[in-house]
Formats: sequence, structure tokens, C-alpha cells
Amino acid sequence: MITFKNIQIKYDDFVAIPDLTFDVKEGEFFTLLGPSGCGKTTTLRALAGFLKTSHGVITIDDKDITDVPVHERQVGMVFQSYALFPSMSAYENIAFGLKVEKQSKDYIKKRVAELAEMVDLTKEQLAKNVSNMSGGQQQRVAIARALARKPKILVMDEPLSNLDAKLRKSLRKDIRDFQKKYGITMVYVTHDQEEALMLSDRIAVFSKGQIDQIGTPNEIYNHSATEFVCKFIGDANYFSKTDLEKIGLNPSHFGHVNKFYIRPEKVYLSKEKQSLITGRIISKEFYGMYAYYKIEVNGVSFLSFQSESTAGKFEVGDEVSVFINLENILNYADEVQL
Amino acid sequence: MMAKLKKVNFGIVLFLGIFLWFILAFVIIPNFSIIKSVFFTADGVSTERLKAIVSSQRAVRGIKNSFLLAVTLPITTTVIGILEVLFLEYFEIKGRKLIKVAYMIPLVFGGVMLANGYMFTYGSRGFITTLLLNVFPHMNPAWFRGYGAVLFLMSFACTSTYMIFFRNAFTNIDYQTIEAARGLGETDLKILLKVVFPTLKPILLTCTILLFQTGLMAMAAPLMIGGREFETISPLILTFTQRPSSRTLAAVLSFFLGLMQLVLLYIIQRNERKGNFLSISKVKTTIKRVKIHNKLLNALTHVTAYVFALINTMPLLIVLLFSFTDYQTISSRHLTFKSFSLDNYRLILTSDTAYRPFVTSVFYATAASIIVVLMMLVVTRFIFKNRTKFSTMLEMLIHIPWVFPGLMFALGLVMTYSHPHGIVFNNVLTGSLVIMLIAYVVVLMPNTFRFLKASYYGVDQSLEDAAKILGAKPLYSYIKVVLPIILPTVLAMLAINFNGKLSDYDLSVFLYNPIAKPVGVVIRSNSSSEAGIEGIALNFVYSVLLMAINTLVFFFVYADGKNVLRNLFKSRKMKHES
Repeated sequence: MITFKNIQIKYDDFVAIPDLTFDVKEGEFFTLLGPSGCGKTTTLRALAGFLKTSHGVITIDDKDITDVPVHERQVGMVFQSYALFPSMSAYENIAFGLKVEKQSKDYIKKRVAELAEMVDLTKEQLAKNVSNMSGGQQQRVAIARALARKPKILVMDEPLSNLDAKLRKSLRKDIRDFQKKYGITMVYVTHDQEEALMLSDRIAVFSKGQIDQIGTPNEIYNHSATEFVCKFIGDANYFSKTDLEKIGLNPSHFGHVNKFYIRPEKVYLSKEKQSLITGRIISKEFYGMYAYYKIEVNGVSFLSFQSESTAGKFEVGDEVSVFINLENILNYADEVQL
Repeated sequence: MMAKLKKVNFGIVLFLGIFLWFILAFVIIPNFSIIKSVFFTADGVSTERLKAIVSSQRAVRGIKNSFLLAVTLPITTTVIGILEVLFLEYFEIKGRKLIKVAYMIPLVFGGVMLANGYMFTYGSRGFITTLLLNVFPHMNPAWFRGYGAVLFLMSFACTSTYMIFFRNAFTNIDYQTIEAARGLGETDLKILLKVVFPTLKPILLTCTILLFQTGLMAMAAPLMIGGREFETISPLILTFTQRPSSRTLAAVLSFFLGLMQLVLLYIIQRNERKGNFLSISKVKTTIKRVKIHNKLLNALTHVTAYVFALINTMPLLIVLLFSFTDYQTISSRHLTFKSFSLDNYRLILTSDTAYRPFVTSVFYATAASIIVVLMMLVVTRFIFKNRTKFSTMLEMLIHIPWVFPGLMFALGLVMTYSHPHGIVFNNVLTGSLVIMLIAYVVVLMPNTFRFLKASYYGVDQSLEDAAKILGAKPLYSYIKVVLPIILPTVLAMLAINFNGKLSDYDLSVFLYNPIAKPVGVVIRSNSSSEAGIEGIALNFVYSVLLMAINTLVFFFVYADGKNVLRNLFKSRKMKHES
């Protein structure tokens, strides 16, 4: 569906994206994930046509669109701020692109009604000025407007970043359900790992203008390809070779690597003496449904995440058995300094 | 190369070409001709004209007087301005709402109108003076004249600077800082001096500089109230300009004002660079007014607040009152119940000579306001969208009228275009109907540019991107998306510019055509001792009408008018949609 082949993007002399290659399949929810300034929005804007590439080819359905103007790419976009036209009603916003296309009034009316139904907007809401709408309603208008001209692809640039946590959670589910229902190909940009894991079919993790890993959420989280992906995608305890030895694990099991990570939820605890590793709880952060415990084993401290069933079981000072499965340890070699 | 050529918008190129010609002809050449006339004679570079100024006692006295006013005005106005702001926003004063209206009067009743009002109130034949003469027959009827009178008038008139800038900064102070100081045991007076005022230091300095500039360049008050005993630079420039033989002297004096303006702009910029003390509080609270517990101090504060309100109100009330009286009452200053009539207003509506100045001013102010806003909408957009060396140069050119005082520029226009000049296709513009309009447009440019630029910055770039991805061409997205967003600023600029030039005197007096006298010039000539009663009566009506227009503009631009207008549009739109 979409391919980026050896794409390079420059801002004057600064190379933001040196060499980028990836593809997105039809009907896929594809997320570009990474910290601020890593190049994910630049990539998205290049796909939409707002940025010129200095090298490489972008294709949609095997058609080279690298030099095709923005409005001819058949890409719909939902902006970070939604970019709804504040002087217009929801109806006028959705109809904007159709009016530009010089569609008949009847067609516009019919199409807006269709879209309103798709995104769950009522007639009354359509008549409202967009500045008088809630964040959720605004997002729906933005999606409907982006889909009005029947684009092949819908791209979204951090559309949930300006909302409060509760609304963010409910809207991301709406986005996911909507995408699944209509099978739209979506390219989504976010810096929120949880959002990316929950929404995506596949994720591309960006770092310094390059993709570190492309994979399903499970692959990205449980089999992080690089140390950066491992640290960025979620919490992880870091161990050096010596640390592993101190807590009684054998680092030679992993070959010639010297950086080891394990996610806190993969560190199991028990009050009964069932493991060779014994530690002491030195602090506790209790969140009701779950708790984080800091454990010390022979001078090495690390975190363990305990869910509802075990969250209240341990107290500071308790002696506990620690279970770590070697298969859950993510391991990386030192980065080669050039 | 061909692709690049295709992208050039020839409409914009043509517009920018005309704009650059406009700047060259009406900004650069007139100011340059002043500088040239100061330093160059037929024999080459010369300091002869500078020496002529130094040897002219009248000119030196004018410069000294201007300096005296420029130095003392910031002191008196700062004291009055700060006190007025404190009376409104810091102390609990009974009748605050009425006092507030009185303190806002200088915002709508200023310049030549105000000087005229003061003349009729305190002048040698003024209403108050006539009353005082009944009580003290031996007092000097011309008591309200000279330096003291000018300083008094201007000190109260210029408090508008404090009402706009200082009051705004003061009300934005985080009240929690005051409460914190109070909690630490500090007295209210010390809190004011140690906590409140230090945060307002930058704005105080800016106000002081603006007042220094106002004092230095004052025109209407020294001309109408100062008299021969207190002549300042600006009226002197006007006097010298009227005789072609002494125009070079006027040029030297205006060049001197230009130099001072440069120094002041430099100081303001340095002050701005120092930054401002901003509240670091995440949850700011607004100031709560304090009650003065000392009874004597409380009474003294109330009396001062009311006296200030009375001083501001008196000339306006008298102008308003006498605008509804007959000629006999205006002549005798003796009010009875039978004095009232609508004759003066009737005259304005029926007499061609009476309404013509008003119509002329409305026409010039409207035309200048529309031209400058349309011109700046295009130029500002171009500069905003194209960050190149050319656009930076264009931006600097637009700011030239800020660097040189209006008087210098007006004189430059008069001197440059009093004979055929190639840049204006060998036309003589001095004395023509168009030169005043051009001058208005030029002086309104920098401010309009600043406001429009700020409003363009306020438009989210993603809105234009959204329009672009939906297929809209740049002009379509500008008209449909950008313009509606910046429309409030555009309308505000139209109103502010219109207001600023409606009763203009300082520029107009140099450039008006006798067949199209603007109202500011007519008010001034009607206030002279040679003018008849009809002129005085007309001045009252002009003042009242100008005040009404000013008040309406302020209401719509700064007060609740915008909401009234918005709600009106909204309800109409909703009706339409339903």
C-alpha cells in the first residue's frame, strides 16, 4: 500500500531523516512511535506532502507520489490540534474539502450525513460551531473532515496529546474500533508507548531519524531489538554482568553481551522459600490495583510489579523469594563507538 | 529555472513594486530631504543652519521649554497616574464606578478637543474663570496660561498612558504575593513599595519614556494654552513652516526632534530587552482592594480621588453642557434654564460650512484607515510567509515612520513636494487634496503592521495545512480560513486607526487643503480669540460628536462591544442555520 524507499529529508543543512525504508499494508494500523525530535512527524508530513524529500521514493498503491501535490495524494490528515476552522460549524468543516472540489450541494449534504453517521455526530452537533464542542466531538469532526474526500489513507499526528488522561483512554478505543470497522489504512504518530501498543497492528520505533525496530506490539515489547526500544517502550530493570552474578544468575548464558534488562512484571515474588534468589523489600509504592516493590539482593536493587492479587501481600522489610526466568531477560551488547 | 519562474505570483510582485515606490516617495525621500536641508547648502556640507538655530533666541527658548515640559511631565503624570490606578484597583473607594468613568475621560477626550475644552473652562473668558472673577474681581483673567497651565492640562490628559498600560500590568499582579507579604507581617504601604512596584518597574520606565516623548513633541496644549510666554518646539516648527524663508529653521528643529526620538526608541528597546517580572504562580489570583483603616488617611484618599475625577470631568461636562445652549449663553457664560437649545446641532446638520470639516475628517480617517489596513494585510502576510533578507528589509522600511517624528515627516512632505518631483511624475503635491491622506497612511503603517503581524502569528499553521490537504488554493484558504480568524484584529485596527486620525491636528495642520479643512484644524482656529461665537458653539458640537465616536470605538474594541457584536452575529447565524 505505502512504501518509503531510501527516503532522506533535510531542513536546510540539517538531515532530519537520513535513510528511511518501510512499508505499510492495506487496512493496517501503523504507528510511528518515538520521543520528541526523532523524526516521526517529519515522516508523516512527508507522506502527506507537506515536506519535500531530498532523496528516495514514496509510493501509494505502487504509484510514485514523491512529487505529487498535497491535495492529489489522497491522504486525509487529522492534526495534533485537530486544526478545525474556528469560524465554521462542524458541518462547514466537514464540507470544506467537498466545496473546494466543487461538488454539488446535494452530494455535499449526503456525504456529510454519511460521515456524521460514521463518526457518530448528531444533526444538532453538526450545526454547532466547532469551538463550542467537546474534545471528543472535535476529534470526530476532524476525522470526518479528513475522510470527506474519500482518501486512501488516513494519517493522524498525535491527535490525543492535548486531551486529559481519561478522555484519551476512551477516544483511543473509539479510534481503534472505527479503524477496524471501516478497514481504513491508518498511519498514526505518537510518543505515548501505551497508546501505540494498544492501537497498532504494527509499530515503527524511531530514534534519531531512523527506525530501530518495526514489529507487532508484542514483538516490540517483549523482544525489543535494541536497548533504546527496550528502554523507550516500557519500564525495565537494568543489570550489568556483575549485577547478574551478584543475584545468582549466570551471564555467560547470553554469550558476549553485557547489558541486561528485565521488565518489572517479569520479576515474580513469593513469601515462601521456593527460589534460590532471596531478597528483602526496601520500599513499596502502592497504587490500589497494583504495587511496585523495590527489592535488594546482595546489594543489587531492582523493581517488581505486582498486580491486584499480590499487591497488598508484601511489606517493607519482608524477606521474599525472587523468580526471574532467563528467557525474559533482554540482552544487548555495548554500542560500537565509531 | 522554469519551475521557479512559474511559482512567482505576478500580482504580488506588482503590489510589492508599488509599495516600494510608495515607501521611497513618501517615507524615505521626505525624511531624507529634511536631513539634507539641515546639513547641506548650495555650497555643500555646512553647519550654518545649526548655528542659525543656536543664535535664534526664540528657537533656543523653544528647545529649553520643550525640555522643561519633557522632564516635568513624566513626574507629574506618573504621580497622578499611579494614584488614579491605586484609587481604582488597590484602595477601597466609595463611588469607584463613577470615578472610573471620570478617569477614562482622557482616553476619548484628548488633543485639540481637550485643549479647547480647558480653554473654555479655565481660559481668560472661560466658564470657571468668569465665576471666579465674580468672587475675586481683581484676579488675573489670564491665570490659566503658560508653563503651569500646559503642565496641569497635560498631566491629567496623559494619564491615559497609565490607564492603558500601567493599570493592565497592575491588575495582572498575582495577589498571592501580596497575601504572602502580609502573612509575613508587612504593612500595606511597604507591600506596595517593596512587592508591587518593583514588579512594575519595566512598565513604569516605558510610561516615563513615552511621557518624555509626549512632552517633547507636544503641539496642541502649548499652542493653545502656552501662549507666547511658553512656546515649545512643535508650535515653533509650525510657525517657521508657514514662511518659506524660515522652513530650513523648521527643518533643523524637526531634525532635533528626530534625534531625540531615536535616543528614546533605543532606551525603550533596551528596557524591553531587560524583560519583565512575570508571575511564576501556577494559580494566579486577582487583586483584592484594601480598606484604609486610618480615618484621616481614608478621608484624604477619598477627597484626592474625587478631586482628580472632577478635574477630568469638568472640561468635558462644560463642553457637553454648552453644546446645548444658545449663542447668548455661550457668549455670556451665564447659564439659565432658558439657555438650552438644539440650535448648534441643527446647524451642524444643515449648514454646509459647519458639517463640511466633520465630513472631511470622517472621509480622510476612513480612507486612510481602510487603505493602510488593506495594504498592511498583504505586506504583512508576505513578510510572515517569506523569511528572507528582502522581507526583513521591508519590515525595517515599514518601521521608519516610528523612528522619525510625524512633524519632521510632515515638514519633509511639504518641502519635498512643493515643486514638481520626478518620483511623483512631476506633480506638485503640497497643498493638494491627496497629501494629507498619504501622510495619514504613512504614520499609521508601523502600528497596523505590528498588530496584524501578531494576529498572523496567532493563526495555527496546521489550519492552513488542513485547508491545503483538502485541496484549497492559497487565496481560497486565506479568505475562508485565515481572514475570519484575524478579522477581529482587522476590525480593531480599522477602528483604532479611524479614531486616531479623526480629530488629528499635528499632521493635518501642515498638510490640509483649504477647501478640505479637517475638523482638528477647524477646532483650533475656532478656539482663537478672533473666532466668533458660532465657531465656539461649533467646537462644542464637534467635540461632543468626536467624543461619542471615540467612546463607541473604545466600547467595541476594548470593552464589551466585541461580545455584543459577536453575539449579534451568532444569533443571526443560528437563526439562518435553523
